[in-house]
Amino acid sequence: MSEVDTESEPVAAPRPRRGPASLVRKAAWLALLVVLLALPLYLDAAWLKAGQYMMIGAVGAIGLTLVVGQAGQLSLAHAFFLLAGGTAYTVLSGPIGDDRVVGFGLDPGLSLLGAVVVAALLGLAFAPVAGRLRGIYLGVASLALVFLGLYFGQSAEELTGGTSTGRAPAPFSLFGFPFTDDGPEITLLGVPIRQAERMWYLFLLLTVLAFVIARGAVRGRVGRSWRAVRDNEAAAAVMGVSVMRAKAGAFAVSSAYGGLAGAMTVLWFDILKPDESEFGTYGINVSIAYLAMVIIGGLGSVPGALVGALIVNGLPQVLALYSADLGWFSGTGDGALTPVLVSSFVYGAAIILVVLFEPGGLAALGRRLTRLRRQPPEEP
Amino acid sequence: MKRTHLAAALVAVLALSACSTKANNSGSPGSDSSGVKTGKGVTAAEVTLGVMTDKSGVFKNLGLGVTQGNELWAKDFNAAGGVCGRQVKLEEVDHGYKADTAKTLYPQIEPKVLGFVQLLGSPVVAALKQNLATDKAVAAPASWSSELLDNPYVMIVGTTYDLEMIDGLSYLQEQGLIKDGDTIGHVYIDGEYGKNGLRGSQFYAKKHSLTVKEVKITSTDSDLTNVVTGLKGAGVKAIALTTTPAQTGSAVAANKALGLNVPVLGNNPTFDPALLKSPAAGALDKLTVVASSVPFSADLPKAKDVAAKFKAAYKETPNGGVPYGYAVGEVWGAVLKKACDNKDLTRDGIAAALKQTTSASTDNLVAALDFSKPGTPATRQVYAATPDASAEGGVKYVKPLFEAPEAKEYVAPHQK
Repeated sequence: MSEVDTESEPVAAPRPRRGPASLVRKAAWLALLVVLLALPLYLDAAWLKAGQYMMIGAVGAIGLTLVVGQAGQLSLAHAFFLLAGGTAYTVLSGPIGDDRVVGFGLDPGLSLLGAVVVAALLGLAFAPVAGRLRGIYLGVASLALVFLGLYFGQSAEELTGGTSTGRAPAPFSLFGFPFTDDGPEITLLGVPIRQAERMWYLFLLLTVLAFVIARGAVRGRVGRSWRAVRDNEAAAAVMGVSVMRAKAGAFAVSSAYGGLAGAMTVLWFDILKPDESEFGTYGINVSIAYLAMVIIGGLGSVPGALVGALIVNGLPQVLALYSADLGWFSGTGDGALTPVLVSSFVYGAAIILVVLFEPGGLAALGRRLTRLRRQPPEEP
Repeated sequence: MKRTHLAAALVAVLALSACSTKANNSGSPGSDSSGVKTGKGVTAAEVTLGVMTDKSGVFKNLGLGVTQGNELWAKDFNAAGGVCGRQVKLEEVDHGYKADTAKTLYPQIEPKVLGFVQLLGSPVVAALKQNLATDKAVAAPASWSSELLDNPYVMIVGTTYDLEMIDGLSYLQEQGLIKDGDTIGHVYIDGEYGKNGLRGSQFYAKKHSLTVKEVKITSTDSDLTNVVTGLKGAGVKAIALTTTPAQTGSAVAANKALGLNVPVLGNNPTFDPALLKSPAAGALDKLTVVASSVPFSADLPKAKDVAAKFKAAYKETPNGGVPYGYAVGEVWGAVLKKACDNKDLTRDGIAAALKQTTSASTDNLVAALDFSKPGTPATRQVYAATPDASAEGGVKYVKPLFEAPEAKEYVAPHQK
């Protein structure tokens, strides 16, 4: 956030488009939303579960694309903020008086907010480090947080439930309406709206909120100051952007997103179980998966992060479901192609292709395609 | 962006709303002509049991062995006439030892099955714990932590890690390898598996005033030389392991290389026949493995029968998962028959039949099992075995089923 409002043309800011094109764009987003709202009426619980997992990825990836793509700070700590958010939600909403674990008995809705705030504060606490380091140095320093998280998960048993059993989070409810199979029986067009469907709508709401807020930040003054810091710190300072504050703000916002994704993760798993090694639900592999989403989608692009999450989090799930249905990739033993393996190949290949041929990721590809159609290609 | 996009999107929405929504196709509970109540996973001709295994992740060897054991059992069970005039069918999915994949696959397989004959992997079992309780589906996890027994729908075939340790340490003491007041080392993976094993050695140590040097590791640690060096400095008389097979190899190799040469005791997952072909092969003679299911090569009529059938059906290298998978099937068979006698093949009927199962026999593939006390391990008996390259399955057993007096007194975490 800059103290002085600059009138200068921001660096690489998306030009706000007006006219019929923007109307069509709005209509397309709206249509997508309608489709997403209608899906629970058609998809089985397993597919809804896979969709929810993609939404968790989307929320986390939006947060990471802000800090890495917009503010230019490489962060490998995203999995740590997932763990922080998940733990915060579980502790805040946990029952009071459990002799094994700590709980505050707060309303789940409040606890979700609390999880976001706790993660943001942790991100702020890391800001002094993030502000002093750049590039790969920051990447390595932030990686330390994942190991800190591993240690914390194992040793703070009163909070996390420990690695051996974990602990169950309070089922989500909003203003007394439960997002489980209990409560009022609701049917929509003959489809009973039970836990899977209710959670779908909850996750969709959170994803839309995350998306809209991120778009607003990117297009507004905040985003401009982040990009200024990313492109040239000295120039940004001259223009009146407080470099330290911009960096800290970007890190805190990204952490808050991570925290929300973490709370969604424990709700999705119905359990908070800290990892037993550095690979797991909150491990290095998750940090890298989020980075992959952001790179594939295009650094700094919010819609790109959605597509990246769709590919990285969605592909293994979808392939696993299809392979169970159709018997694809059902080989066994050494050297067999399995859904998990195939999806690792696909997103590994996607990263290589993006880095080689389209550093701007799928977002740049999309922009290029729409531009191609608007104007004939120029002769070089 | 063109208007065509908008048009296309709108068409898609309209097309979607034109097709019918997902039908409500949950099998309506009913009874067949002979008065047997049926529900999910049971048709007039078939009873479907679920298998959620790891065919592609870190435990693919074990997962494949257990699944093949399950399949052999289903074949035999059906040949013997099945249950209530129905044949058993297995519905198998591979989750690759990933909890997130398992969580998504579960709603897909759950409506098709009566219960689960195999749920492999502790992260998977933990993630599905809530679902099993909600759906009242009885499941046999291929994970032997007594912490899982707070869930009435979890059926652990065999004894648990804590009791394995207690029985194993008493075996070492009986052999004169350790005595009261000694110091022993316990290397364990921080997690469900390791902590449960540690509970056992701590209990035994209290009874016999042993000092336990606890060493916490993670499942990804590969070199335990420094750990064993530390234990040597502490003057341990034996080392207990609750680790992965690779770590077991590293620990026994260090035990030999450092000239410590104390006996090593491992829980059932610590050994994999592949170790016999590893650089640590020469150091395995000090290792004793305690397990409640027999090794593949056991000199028992039933185990030989299963081994012969396995060789006729499969080409892979067998491991201890095969007889275990068969034994779990046998227990499921006993429960199914009991439920059939009660004329109730619904999930509630299976849960009730499980509680009435006080002596499920697997012809000694696993000790006799008693499921009538929720929260209590179904057996406290184990076999002790040592690695042997000449035996098929890689181990030969040195002591048949036994139960240490200390194991009788032990109170499991959820025992009432």
